[in-house]
Amino acid sequence: MLNRGQIELIHREIDGANTPEESAAFRSLLEEDPEAKALEADLRHVAQLFDRVGEREPPPRLKRAILDALPQQARASPRAESGWLTPGAIVRWFVFQLRLATERMEEAIMNKKMMLVGGTVIAIAIVVAVRVTGFPPEGGAAGTIGGVEQAARYRGRAMTQADVTLKNPEIQALFQNDQILRLVQSDVFREAMRNQAFRELQANEAYRRLMASEAYRQLEANQAFRELQANEAYRQLQTSKAFGEMQANEAFRELQASEAYRQLQTSKAFGEMQANEAFRELQAQGAFRESQSTEAMRQLQASEAFRQLQANPAFRQLQASEAFRQLQANEAFRQLQANEAFRQLQASEAFRQLQANEAFRQLQANEAFRQLQASEAFRQLQANQAFRQLQASDAFRQLQASDAFRQLQAAEAFRSLSRSQALSEAFMREAMRVAQ
Amino acid sequence: MTPAAADEQDRDLVQRCLEGQRDAASGLVDRYQKRLFNVALRMLYNVQDAEDVTQTVFLNAFLELRTYNPRYKFFSWIYRMTVNESLNMLKRRKPTVTLDDEFDIRAPGAAPDRAAEVQDRVEKALMSLKPDDRAVVVLRHFVSFSYQEIADVLEIPVRTVKSRLYTARERLRLTLREGVR
Repeated sequence: MLNRGQIELIHREIDGANTPEESAAFRSLLEEDPEAKALEADLRHVAQLFDRVGEREPPPRLKRAILDALPQQARASPRAESGWLTPGAIVRWFVFQLRLATERMEEAIMNKKMMLVGGTVIAIAIVVAVRVTGFPPEGGAAGTIGGVEQAARYRGRAMTQADVTLKNPEIQALFQNDQILRLVQSDVFREAMRNQAFRELQANEAYRRLMASEAYRQLEANQAFRELQANEAYRQLQTSKAFGEMQANEAFRELQASEAYRQLQTSKAFGEMQANEAFRELQAQGAFRESQSTEAMRQLQASEAFRQLQANPAFRQLQASEAFRQLQANEAFRQLQANEAFRQLQASEAFRQLQANEAFRQLQANEAFRQLQASEAFRQLQANQAFRQLQASDAFRQLQASDAFRQLQAAEAFRSLSRSQALSEAFMREAMRVAQ
Repeated sequence: MTPAAADEQDRDLVQRCLEGQRDAASGLVDRYQKRLFNVALRMLYNVQDAEDVTQTVFLNAFLELRTYNPRYKFFSWIYRMTVNESLNMLKRRKPTVTLDDEFDIRAPGAAPDRAAEVQDRVEKALMSLKPDDRAVVVLRHFVSFSYQEIADVLEIPVRTVKSRLYTARERLRLTLREGVR
């Protein structure tokens, strides 16, 4: 059994904190004691796991949000003697803190007492701040958190009694927004509300997580994604069984996330090949899939489809590309080639059209889309029948194409619905009531 | 850049900030936003909260810059604010589902599948630690601070740093033992 000093010696060695003498003692300990050796191996493994975790990039809007919230005077006057601590700076800082506090309080919205006390404190604090500094808080400071306009919740039109029946402030905040009100009263939204799949999805945890995610929000703002949503081939694909199976297929997801596949998707030669009948025929052949073996290769070369392909400059270009070679050596790709659903998918007209579709290829190269495709929530959704039905419905497509819906999805208040199923359901109930 | 040169650059940026130069503020944000965001993220395991914490830290730092004593290292000061703000956020946090807990958004450039799996496992294991212990692990393994630097940031004795680090690592060792190799 290792004593405390020995354990510490091992930890210090892992941290590179031992003196040369201590390191020598550490090595001796490892040679003599298998338990010490095992502990060292385990701890090194833990340290290596940490090394493998990469740093994440902060959201691009963060810097701007920070700088926007800084004192205006310092920006207007680069060498202002007063530095940062101007009355305006204090007000802006106060507004920022107030907004944080308000958001945090909204998270505790079910507690009416807290809201009452909190609201009173905030009201008093605003009055004091205005009196002390002489600067009323400006509305312009309201959009600084996260750099995203906060659903206009602080400047929406006043609610009427008819608009609100629920006492939940987050729901109220959403319905204070004119655009969202117009959306839920629109024909397309009503149509969507009548759609069973849409209603089912609102109760779906994966869907709510997805809608609340930054990657999905980025994607919603992406022109290629919007084009794709309106694309007939994509819609057909969404409803196809083979595509559904593929979305749930680990190898397919792995492939889609791979750099080689991504490069191929964006290459013109690959795009042409996907639209090439002979290439598709070839890909469906067992010989092509097993072309690693000499016999299979001979069969392949003897095939008519292969001969046609050899005459095709795009195929020759593809064969010469590094990305294609990498793909051929990719285990996930080889697995997929042997997968019946993938072969069906590749043979389908909708998939072929999609592969030749510029928006789809752009999307394949899109980081947010790749993140989404790699996410568990997205995978669950893709395997979800209601989601696939929804994707294929006209009403949902129109809904997704509307600016108001995108605004709704980008609204913090709407995203916050994902925190609670009860909140999400309350929103839907209220939306249905308002829509009537 | 050597640590001494980095300190000197920090001091210069801070001085220029105090003179009201906006480009210096921008420079400090450039220099620290990613590091602070990642510390907050490891502490909180929630992108939105990490973003809020980073923003709050910078705003507080700029407003309290006059109270900063240049005899001490700027990075210790701002990392301390980040850890403290993260701990405050954790105290405020309600035991509800967070937006990003289960949504896998991996680091740009990170290889998918295996790397994401490792990242997820490590982050979840980190969240199983007590916040004070987690802070030590984050500063040691993600910021590569020495024992002394961690002690300076957290304002605790070096022996406490070691004790927390070793305890936390032992727990992580058991948690991650069955994990990926």
